[in-house]
Amino acid sequence: MGQWVLLAYRMPREPSTPRISVWRALKRLGALQVSDGLVAVPLDARTREQLTWLAGEVVDHGGEATIWLGQPGSAAEERALVARMKAQIAADYRAVERAAAEASSDQASTRRTLARLRRELRRIGLRDYFPGAARARAAAAVERLGRRLEAAS
Amino acid sequence: MKWATRRGCHVDRAACAWLIRRFIDPAAAFAFVDDPDDLPPDAQAFDIPGAALSHHNGRCSFEAFLRRYDLGDPALLAIGEIVHDADLGDERYGAPEAPGLDVLIRGLSLTLADHEVIDASRPLFGGLYAFKQRQLQLGREPA
Repeated sequence: MGQWVLLAYRMPREPSTPRISVWRALKRLGALQVSDGLVAVPLDARTREQLTWLAGEVVDHGGEATIWLGQPGSAAEERALVARMKAQIAADYRAVERAAAEASSDQASTRRTLARLRRELRRIGLRDYFPGAARARAAAAVERLGRRLEAAS
Repeated sequence: MKWATRRGCHVDRAACAWLIRRFIDPAAAFAFVDDPDDLPPDAQAFDIPGAALSHHNGRCSFEAFLRRYDLGDPALLAIGEIVHDADLGDERYGAPEAPGLDVLIRGLSLTLADHEVIDASRPLFGGLYAFKQRQLQLGREPA
């Protein structure tokens, strides 16, 4: 089983701005909501650091936060966590795949779409700890769009 | 003066070390620790939980330095935006240099010890600073 880093936290309901900013950062990091006020990500130098800064932000805004390192109690529990993370991110990849397939035939707008989807793929990749088939399909769709554009110009 | 930060330097700490040597303390000596509890008592701590010169209110440590030392040079502010985007990945400033700079420093940190990362990235930040100064002078990117 792998090592995970967890953030247990509680923030005042109001003001909502810092709560939303923490929530956005957790989403960007691809953290999995284990239960109310507890999120987990696979442990590496970057995830640990990002969660540590977020814990500081929570405390700065009058909340409570602790960082934990640990592993799930069983392989089955870990598989379930990983499956939930994969399902979450697969939806993001599908959106990229669909947008690439549906890109218009207008060259200028396709070029913009291609640049946007490449950025989006990179962004998703930064929060994808278990890249699999969904990523490969989305990357292939974006590549096809790039080839189509090259062939047309 | 002695300065201390966490081991495993990435873009924010490398940028801070450059800023310290260039604008704050040319004779700076750096120490690297695993745990904030191991900080040498005579050292100024940065980019480590609990330090004033660290992440606060969604801003990175480099930005904390700019504020603390009143460094308002527009070229430095531009580097602050790049370092912020590279370190936090939140695209707050949409700095196009950020992903590239992040990858370069992460690559250095894979192959070098912390002291070497700081030394090797110095000319990189020096060059970035010169580029940004020139860009601001010209109103466009230098050739």
